[in-house]
Amino acid sequence: MVNEENWEPKIVAFLCHWCSYAGADLAGVSRIQYPPNIRVIRVPCSGAVNPLYILKALREGADGVLVSGCHPGDCHYLSGNYFARRKFFLLKELLRFLGIEEERVQFSWVSASEGQRFSQVVQEVVESVKRIGPSRKNIKEFVFHV
Amino acid sequence: MYEEELHRLSVKLLDEVEYIIGYTSGTLPFRSRPFLCRKKEEVELLTFDHFSGSNLTRYLLSKDLREKKVAILAKGCDARTITVLLREGQIKRENVVVVGLPCYGMVSLRKLEKHFGSLRPQDFTWHLDTFTFQGKTQSIGPFLENTCQRCLYPNPPLFDYLVGSRVEYVPRERWKEDSLKRLEEISSEKRWEFFAQEFQRCIRCYACRNACPLCYCKECFAEAQRPYWLSPAATRSENLFFHAGRALHMAGRCVECGACERACPLEIPIALLPLKVEELVREHFTFEAGVSPDREPPLLTYRENDPNEFIK
Repeated sequence: MVNEENWEPKIVAFLCHWCSYAGADLAGVSRIQYPPNIRVIRVPCSGAVNPLYILKALREGADGVLVSGCHPGDCHYLSGNYFARRKFFLLKELLRFLGIEEERVQFSWVSASEGQRFSQVVQEVVESVKRIGPSRKNIKEFVFHV
Repeated sequence: MYEEELHRLSVKLLDEVEYIIGYTSGTLPFRSRPFLCRKKEEVELLTFDHFSGSNLTRYLLSKDLREKKVAILAKGCDARTITVLLREGQIKRENVVVVGLPCYGMVSLRKLEKHFGSLRPQDFTWHLDTFTFQGKTQSIGPFLENTCQRCLYPNPPLFDYLVGSRVEYVPRERWKEDSLKRLEEISSEKRWEFFAQEFQRCIRCYACRNACPLCYCKECFAEAQRPYWLSPAATRSENLFFHAGRALHMAGRCVECGACERACPLEIPIALLPLKVEELVREHFTFEAGVSPDREPPLLTYRENDPNEFIK
């Protein structure tokens, strides 16, 4: 049974195939530890992450979402992450406006050589989500038909 | 407002267009309804008053009118809609004659009722930015629709003919009544309470989407089966998903006409989310939908110095 004491956040991580996913891989092969709270979803590019994916993850019960891609200028598709940045900015500000905790949705740039940094980012994300506790604002309610 | 001039122009226009999409007085007082004027004899029926809120550009997208040459009455926001539709390749410029109408703002029947109780049309005389009620003349400012109070373009930026004279002030600066700003000033917890409560009431009738002239997708993400984004159940989280998703789809496209809000049968201030996104686009990407037809829409372009501080 999950209760307040042993609750662990579930965090969905969208990682771009060319940088952050490889960064996570490097963290793995280098045996760098990071919390097991993230569920990685590999995407071709951070620009392929539709903001609706993030909303959907939150609605389905994720306590947090992390989206990570290549550093600006390093995108494998040249400019995917620049387009992504605009979309994420609007999403993040919209969620803030709705009054949803800012820590729920986080973004980072992690390159393929930054295994150490990846582990650090995940630690930070997990810690900040733990601090605000389980998501209650946007999870799906079940509808019972009488 | 400007009826005489409008009728004179309409007679002339009917020589070159098949229809004039305009307004006529509705069957209920304080309501105008959309009206397709086909014959010169019908021209007298065309009106334009403080209740002609409908964004008529929605009709330009209808199957029957899309290939025909039509004239359309356009307030500031409607003209901006036409610019966006042209930019998105939805309509052809040579098929549309835009009759621009400078607009002092649309009066909200709900606000009027709230203030005066039951309304009788004969008690009111409407002028441009004032009205007379029982001998007392007052400003329309406090009774305008929320979106009209924060309007920045009372004069249409695009038109072929302009009826009436230009509005000389910017409504947002004059009325200083900004529903969005008021909400931004309260704490995020309070804001969440407000939105949760409002969206809980939504019955997902999609009237907002159907009234919006820029929500023209053949298949809406809200009803798509593959991917199945959200269920049609009208629960808080699904409603929130729908409205937030719609606001994001409108990013850099919403012309702040308030058609969605006016269409809502539950009086939920749904326009707030697209308006917020539009404010962000205006502030951070220096773009306004439907104002400069040649500029690339904000999500189809980028700058290297876009906001980056929110990314680790």
